[in-house]
Amino acid sequence: MNETKKYIKPELMACCGAREIKDHDLVIVGTGFPTMSANIAKHMHAPNAVMMQESGVIDAKPKRPALSVGDPCLNPGAAMIGGLVDIMGMFLQAGHVDLGFLSGSQVDQYGNINTTVIGDYDAPKSRLPGSGGANPIGSLARKTLIIALHDRKRLAARVDFITTPGYIDGPGAREKWGMPKNTGPHALITNKGVLRFDDRTKQAYLDSYHPGNTIEEICDHTPWDLKISPTVHETLVPTEEELRVIREILDPFGMISIYEKKGYV
Amino acid sequence: MSKVVSMKEAISTHVSSGDFLFIGGYICRTPFSAIHEIIRQKITDLTITRSNAADDFDLMIGAGCVRRFISTFLSLGLYGLGRCYRRSLEKGIPHKIEVEEYTNLSLPMMLMAGAMGMPFVPVKDMAGSDLLNVSSFMGDNKYKIIDSPFDGGKTILVPALNPDLAIIHVQQADEFGNAQMWGIGGDCMYGANAAKKVIVSCERIVSRDMIGKDPSRTIVAASKVVAVVQEPFGSHPGYTPGFYDTDFAFGYLYQQASNTEQGLDAFLKEWVYDIEDRTAYIQHYIQRFGYAAFKKLEADFDYSFPVNYAY
Repeated sequence: MNETKKYIKPELMACCGAREIKDHDLVIVGTGFPTMSANIAKHMHAPNAVMMQESGVIDAKPKRPALSVGDPCLNPGAAMIGGLVDIMGMFLQAGHVDLGFLSGSQVDQYGNINTTVIGDYDAPKSRLPGSGGANPIGSLARKTLIIALHDRKRLAARVDFITTPGYIDGPGAREKWGMPKNTGPHALITNKGVLRFDDRTKQAYLDSYHPGNTIEEICDHTPWDLKISPTVHETLVPTEEELRVIREILDPFGMISIYEKKGYV
Repeated sequence: MSKVVSMKEAISTHVSSGDFLFIGGYICRTPFSAIHEIIRQKITDLTITRSNAADDFDLMIGAGCVRRFISTFLSLGLYGLGRCYRRSLEKGIPHKIEVEEYTNLSLPMMLMAGAMGMPFVPVKDMAGSDLLNVSSFMGDNKYKIIDSPFDGGKTILVPALNPDLAIIHVQQADEFGNAQMWGIGGDCMYGANAAKKVIVSCERIVSRDMIGKDPSRTIVAASKVVAVVQEPFGSHPGYTPGFYDTDFAFGYLYQQASNTEQGLDAFLKEWVYDIEDRTAYIQHYIQRFGYAAFKKLEADFDYSFPVNYAY
């Protein structure tokens, strides 16, 4: 297990995200992992995927890593720049966005995400930023990918506050609320494994464990009765080509390593 | 006919305690100098709105200007959670603000409805989330759910917003208030047009003829504008495309300062209360960090081709 470390966990997680992106997908991204994943995909198997930022940008050509979805480097070179109503309305609400990337301070077994409050809403223990674009992305993109830390604090059987709906309380809930058909969380990528959502129960189950993480350890750190896929397997490590793209083209200064300090190890 | 005034005059004439303000800028083109002037004039009890707020709204909350916030999000981005926002909601310092929460789809749509004179607008987000289970000062009027009169489907309606005043920062405007902007739009255009009147802060004032050379860039026409302020470097530490970059180092300085109430007070004294206007602010910036740091923020030259509207 302690073989020479050829990659760091955030690189592996970014590659997991990239592999979920198909060629020609329209992808709404935030900063950090989502942008990295989408860029890896574009350099590998999905050259025609198009990224958009909710602030109004389509197909940006940034010359440095964007540090926010409104970053100055997203402006020059973009294919189109409008505003929130254009991206969130004309593209997302109108049903044209294939994939949204979200992260959550707290994520539950149905892929519901909390970015509003830890503790009581009116007397918060910790007040978080709020929805921003997350709720509409989780509601309206065809698929959502969720990035989260894998421990009993960050994962929950039920989030304190549903900022962004996943499958809410299980099968049929999105339909009951009139949300677009066949939408919802597609994968939950953590620092320990990749979870997917059961078609029937809508509950997250373990699809793959990262090298160095065991199924037992993962179950231990998951606060619901985690089902294991019959085809559970070790997560594919980043290929040499993926690592080359990350290190030589996308992130020559290794900024992705800040996620190690945030616990993504 | 010229509406050009100083920021001090624009704010003292058109902003009163208790007003409902839309303040533009989505990281891009934040009207920071106007925000500093509002704080300096000790205007309070404001209701403020915009999608995705950051250090700008955090500072106003910390300075005690805000009573109510129609929000979607507030964070310091790269630098984490909004310190003043948290202190207000978790500890009631300086007081607990009232927050009405929407999303980056629904709030811009509410401003769009306001701009269009529509009473409300249907949105497809928020369904099934706890955003429908909490409301503050808008009470039952935060949203309504109806069966669509067209297909019977469950439909969420949110009300139009019409702020008393919008304050925006743009690249250029003429003396009458025709305001031109380029780059990331956020909810600036609809927010400005939803308001009853608009203060335009701009990097440069240009002639009416110059506006007419590329009129498609105008986002607010003069009729709604009550004041025009030429305020170079007016959105620092935010950015204005084609003029200057985001000042990430200053963002860190604000994060560190706002970590504590004492730090925030010192920050407000240094950068707001002891500063007369934006010119003094720039001078102070250069004294504090050096001219090289100031110049380093300046945008490169990368002009587009001229456009031709002739027939």
